[in-house]
Amino acid sequence: MGHRDRRLGRRMVLPLILLLLAVQGYPMAFAVYISAHDYRLTALSEIRWVGLEQYRGLLGNSSYWTAMKNTLVFVFGAVGLELLLGFLLAYLLWRPVPAQNLFRAILLTPMFVTPIAVGLMFRFLLNNQLGIIPVWLRSLGLEIDWFGPDLALFSLILIDVWQWTPLMVLLLLAGLEALPVEPFEAARVDGASELQIIRHLTIPLIRPVMLAAILIRMLDAFRVFEYVYAITRGGPGERTETILFHIYRVGFLYFRLGEAAAMAITLALVIFVLVVLLFRILRRQEALT
Amino acid sequence: MTGLARGIAVKATPARGILRWGRRWPVLFRFSTLSIAAVAVLFPFLWIFLSSLKPPVELSRPSLFGFEPTGVNWSEVWLNSPFARYFLNSVIVGGLTVIVSLIVGAPAAYAFSRFGIGGTGLRFLILAAQMMPPALFIIPFFLMAYYVGLLDTVWAVAVAHLTFIAPLVTWFLIGFFEDVPRDLEEQAMVDGCTRWQAFVRVVLPAARPGLAAAGLFAFIMSWNEMFYALMLAGGHSKTLPVAIAGYWTFRGVDMGKMSVAITSAVIPVMIASFFVQRYLVRGLGGGALKG
Repeated sequence: MGHRDRRLGRRMVLPLILLLLAVQGYPMAFAVYISAHDYRLTALSEIRWVGLEQYRGLLGNSSYWTAMKNTLVFVFGAVGLELLLGFLLAYLLWRPVPAQNLFRAILLTPMFVTPIAVGLMFRFLLNNQLGIIPVWLRSLGLEIDWFGPDLALFSLILIDVWQWTPLMVLLLLAGLEALPVEPFEAARVDGASELQIIRHLTIPLIRPVMLAAILIRMLDAFRVFEYVYAITRGGPGERTETILFHIYRVGFLYFRLGEAAAMAITLALVIFVLVVLLFRILRRQEALT
Repeated sequence: MTGLARGIAVKATPARGILRWGRRWPVLFRFSTLSIAAVAVLFPFLWIFLSSLKPPVELSRPSLFGFEPTGVNWSEVWLNSPFARYFLNSVIVGGLTVIVSLIVGAPAAYAFSRFGIGGTGLRFLILAAQMMPPALFIIPFFLMAYYVGLLDTVWAVAVAHLTFIAPLVTWFLIGFFEDVPRDLEEQAMVDGCTRWQAFVRVVLPAARPGLAAAGLFAFIMSWNEMFYALMLAGGHSKTLPVAIAGYWTFRGVDMGKMSVAITSAVIPVMIASFFVQRYLVRGLGGGALKG
């Protein structure tokens, strides 16, 4: 690469760097500043420096930990189910099947719908008075309170599975389609069973794509907000209070911006670790291809 | 996009050995499982669409068919409420965000893919930037919008959307520029173009499908985003997701109108998604995953 190319390259990157400094760097620094103050929306003239007090407060804040725990249950539950179901569907779509392209197109649609609409659609469908699913279940003798204390978080997980399994299918199917043909033929000639092939050949071969898909989904699932906002608003009690919803509640319903900013920064640190993992997997994958 | 085209061609002609091997899972089993999944996907859409055609008295009775379809919900929402305005707000926010992101992101993505400017560090930054949780930025954005008097405007939402759309577009384009053969621009430079001219006149047109896919996907992401929009814009500056949420409040729900709003918001995105799907894997992997 010549000297002139390098100079041109720097100029081409500069606008993006400036934009990111403005819309990410500055707000991030501002968020850190807010988190070090007693910063209330109701008392903007009495902002007080408190150092790490907000963070120390989080240690003993049971609502914060409940929200973190709920979010982790949501993330692992949803991504786990999406991986299982997504792998099954991708596997079924991998080989020729009638109407393959139609299935593919239909199965991908949910991921393009705005999550608030998905949340409301399911609130509507599962509602005990208005929804059609409870009517059908009742005719089978089943009475299920989808958004009651026991099931609410699980119902939100199912909604996430409906919306985001498609992304898993998309990524895993691409991974499967990029696999070489020879090892599978060899395994077949050696008389391996289908399950043996899946376990010892297919899964090890698409492992990097699988890991990338899991991390991409996890990063997104940590941000769950719309389903909670549309359906449960954190309830019953704090059963579905997720971290993003809790930050919204503390910051915008209770006006305690300093505390909310501190929570957001701890969440960002968790996310950052996941991004590092994802980046390493993508880089290794690239070295392979 | 030749790489992508090749990938698809490979899929269409599987080796004969694989076909035989595939028969161990009977086609009938695979077909019926996929059909069940397709019904599970389509049913909520069908239900919402039918609900948008139900007369208000029928809405409290859960049933699929057996009602007189009416257009009253549709005319109420589109003609007698500010819904068209919210629709336009979403178009403005999405359009503005995508245009700025493409203008800023395309040269940067090209510099990454050709000169490796900034190296791994900068590339990591681009990925991290699109993944950062909106909770981190919303409080500063809210205060900044408040102090400069942009609260409750579509401009505040558009700026907030740039936080994740600009890095997302750049990330997508890195992969797409890598698919443009280098011979193209080298030939243009032999013919007397500078590197920059080669980029504008040869590389950009060659990467048009990728630019369109990245732009459309970014538009969909902005169109669907609610967290920032909810906090930064209200009243007449609402975007579609916020407007949709407004039909179901603690005071009650207007399901017919909500169904119209959802259907109206979803249809354009569905159409756009069919153009995007093919490019999505390569885009999401930033060039590291095969599409």
